[in-house]
Amino acid sequence: MKTIYALPLAAAISTLGATAALADWPTDRPIEMIVAFAPGGGTDIMLRTLAPYIEADLATQIPVLNRPGASGEIAYTALAQAKPDGYTISSLNTPGFLTMRIDRELRFDPAAICPIARIVEDPGMFVVQEGSPYNTLEELVSFAKENPGAVSIGTTGVGTDEHLAMLQLEESAGVDMTAVPFGGANEAKTALLGGHVTVIGLNVGEYAGSEPGQIKGLAQFTEERSILAPDLPTAKEQGFDVLMSSERGIAAPCAVPEEVRARLAEAVDKAVANPEFQEKAKQQGLALSYQSGADWAAAMPERLARYEEIIKMVKEGQ
Amino acid sequence: MAGPAASGKGDRPDLLTAAIFVGFGVIGLWQTRVLDGGTLAQMGPGYLPRVVCGLLILLGLVIGIAAMRRDAAPIEPIKLRPLLVITLSIVGFAFAVTHLGFVIASMFLILAGSLADPGSNWRTTLLLAAGLTAFGAIVFVYGLGVQVPLWPQ
Amino acid sequence: MDFINLLMLGFGEAITPANLSFCLLGALLGTLIGVLPGIGPTATIAVLLPITFFLPPLAGIIMLAGIYYGAQYGGSTTAILVNLPGEASAVVTTLDGYQMARQGRAGAALAVAALGSFFAGTVATFAIAIAGPMLSQFALSFGPAEYVALMLFGLLAATILASGPVLKAIGMILIGLLLGMVGTDQATGAERLTFGAVELFDGIDFIVIAIGLFGFSEIITNLERSGSAGVTVAPLTRLWPTREDFRQSWAAVLRGTGLGTMLGLLPGGGATLASFSAYSLEKKVSKNPQKFGTGVVEGVAAPEAANNAAAQSSFIPLLTLGIPSNNMMAMMLSAFMIHGITPGPSVLTNQPEIFWGLVASMWIGNLLLVVINLPMIGLWVRLLTVPYRLLYPAILLFCCIGVYSMNNRIFDVVLAAGFGLLGYVFRKANCEPGPLLLGFVLGPLLEANLRRTLLITQGDPGIFVERPISLVMLIATVALLALMIFPAFRKKREEAFQEEEA
Repeated sequence: MKTIYALPLAAAISTLGATAALADWPTDRPIEMIVAFAPGGGTDIMLRTLAPYIEADLATQIPVLNRPGASGEIAYTALAQAKPDGYTISSLNTPGFLTMRIDRELRFDPAAICPIARIVEDPGMFVVQEGSPYNTLEELVSFAKENPGAVSIGTTGVGTDEHLAMLQLEESAGVDMTAVPFGGANEAKTALLGGHVTVIGLNVGEYAGSEPGQIKGLAQFTEERSILAPDLPTAKEQGFDVLMSSERGIAAPCAVPEEVRARLAEAVDKAVANPEFQEKAKQQGLALSYQSGADWAAAMPERLARYEEIIKMVKEGQ
Repeated sequence: MAGPAASGKGDRPDLLTAAIFVGFGVIGLWQTRVLDGGTLAQMGPGYLPRVVCGLLILLGLVIGIAAMRRDAAPIEPIKLRPLLVITLSIVGFAFAVTHLGFVIASMFLILAGSLADPGSNWRTTLLLAAGLTAFGAIVFVYGLGVQVPLWPQ
Repeated sequence: MDFINLLMLGFGEAITPANLSFCLLGALLGTLIGVLPGIGPTATIAVLLPITFFLPPLAGIIMLAGIYYGAQYGGSTTAILVNLPGEASAVVTTLDGYQMARQGRAGAALAVAALGSFFAGTVATFAIAIAGPMLSQFALSFGPAEYVALMLFGLLAATILASGPVLKAIGMILIGLLLGMVGTDQATGAERLTFGAVELFDGIDFIVIAIGLFGFSEIITNLERSGSAGVTVAPLTRLWPTREDFRQSWAAVLRGTGLGTMLGLLPGGGATLASFSAYSLEKKVSKNPQKFGTGVVEGVAAPEAANNAAAQSSFIPLLTLGIPSNNMMAMMLSAFMIHGITPGPSVLTNQPEIFWGLVASMWIGNLLLVVINLPMIGLWVRLLTVPYRLLYPAILLFCCIGVYSMNNRIFDVVLAAGFGLLGYVFRKANCEPGPLLLGFVLGPLLEANLRRTLLITQGDPGIFVERPISLVMLIATVALLALMIFPAFRKKREEAFQEEEA
């Protein structure tokens, strides 16, 4: 009984506190931006590049604080525990944010974290060595049909984008392949160039920024071709039902007042639309794709259901 | 821990080594008991940890048995003062720096840490603490951008 | 020759006043963060990365590269002076370097380290210039099977590091392997050995273990001996190395350079493996292996040369293939990408001034470091004359900030204090922590590659003897094991006899 009464009370108090602080928001003190990854990663560099433009629009300071670990859980927990006054925001990455709740007891409530804006959508894809005999997904699949397990696919671990994409392909084409986990996209790429694995999964952003003449793409896993790789056919075009992309954006606790979140989203929208930022984003191979927090949040349940289905499939397969 | 008695049989440092090795092995086995071992082709997360723990226990036993047969050798005497003071002041620093800011944490660490050394005098220690705190604030917080507040928030 | 022209082009770029000053700035900053324990070059470069937006591409990259190799230099300074390895590759330097410092030969140790590093840096820089693309092919030929063989060899070689019994060293390596397994299993996502702590999901950081086992427990044992008054360093005998020191170390520097250049090409623990193996190699070829660990100059020269050579040659895969071989190189890759440059063969042909400018600036940077560091040796050595009661609180503070700043959390500092206690127990048990650290660094690589190999071959271990590089290394491992087991007994008996006679 106690908790039932306590909950609305706590919410009321925090809203009260937030409204009081709101009068001065956001100019009276800096807005802390938690980044869920170590300095120098894609998400970190993206947000550090973006922060000055948001700062300019809100006329405040946005220091970046890195809280890496447990694929984002540490940062999300810190965000969920922060005062919901609009002075703490964090990075948000899918599919990690969605998949971590499937098999794990989390230290925060995912429902208490609301997306503010999506900034980047980077589709997954499969690549092979430039000299590889396979040019399309179809050719790879027909080889895999005759030689179960012989096609090795470099991923960055179980349950990661690339692995989930491979599972979808296996399911869709009825083949059996071997996932080989690597510590990161770079390690996997080294193994691919050395001919130690057949295929690796990459993001289109990484593919577009890579040296020409080393690797070639087989398929991208989106509904529509990404602006970064307009010539690369999607898996759907080739007849395989594989959809996988990683999204990066910004989130705040849901208890932050609606107006504050809306103002933040507006600032991010403006910053992303700034031609100067777009130029820098292009150099970094960022697939900019702004989406408002509400739209992003609305798209999440369907994706989550799909990931749950895939992961259940793996469990049964074992 | 083995006592200071140095008579009869038993190489005490080696017995301690054996205890450490066996201890790590047993804790490791206990912690990995729920993990899937897998097969050689599909090694699970528990495969290698168990191999390593097994080897550690085996090695610990070999060292322990050999040590019992050797002539007694003592462990260097243990003084608790530096051990406890240093460890506790580090732990205190960790909590203070998050909640009370760098300045208080750094002063605490140096003042408390100096208690480990019976020969220190308060004047020099205070000066040292103030100097190092200022140096740390300038070099680490301003200069290198370490993300820590200077004062309590 | 074409490459001379290109190198001249590079030097032309690198010695413009702007580039030269950014090189100097980077080298100085790198030395500073290298000297401060725990503050690593990766974090510093991450903070500085956005600043490089405003610099011309080459200047920005030159500065970041300067920080990187500057940190290598600085790291060995603290290893020698206060027994605190700032990073994995400096662990070995503590073994003999710190002993030399205690005997009043800190100046000689620092000078040999600086000159050895400079020589190695020069050779490795020319290796990049002459044979970069060829060497990168060597790196690519290392698949999972080759790594497994290399790691086994490296771990076995680590037992040579310790001066105590081999069995204890093997046990410490095993504990290191176990500590390296803490965290989320990379392959399956399962949690291992975390005791349910979310902070351990990503494993234990190297800095936490190194500062705990070396930094904290060293302070505790020093104070235990008889308070701060008891910690004395022998009076400085001589600031510079003697002729004898040079005579003893030149061959070690050569061997270390060769080993470092090759191992630096490999992703992962390249520089660390290089310094450990260089030390082991010296101990094996030495006529007086029992003197290692008591302050012999070769024990400083070889690993320092090796880790600096490796630090340079780790640029090769990045510059020629666009593949970063470690975190630092991944940061460098970001720095290139920010400026719209994609490292790889096409940079060599399309923007030769970038590639050759960087190569030339590396050599200049190394030269600057020697110029900066040699006069500073006198200053550093004077640091040792500061009474320990004033020195240890400072070390304590720097260690604590360093550990805290990695992830900004209490947990890491408390964990480091725990490793301090563990290190204290190890000392009481006469166990040396060096091999533990190597096991910790190489363990995850060994496990990941072993599992990868067996996944790719679907459980057939035959691949290890079918692939030539792997086979050669496995044979070397077995040979080393045989060498260790048989003469070890004999040598030990000889030593025992010598002691009786003495």
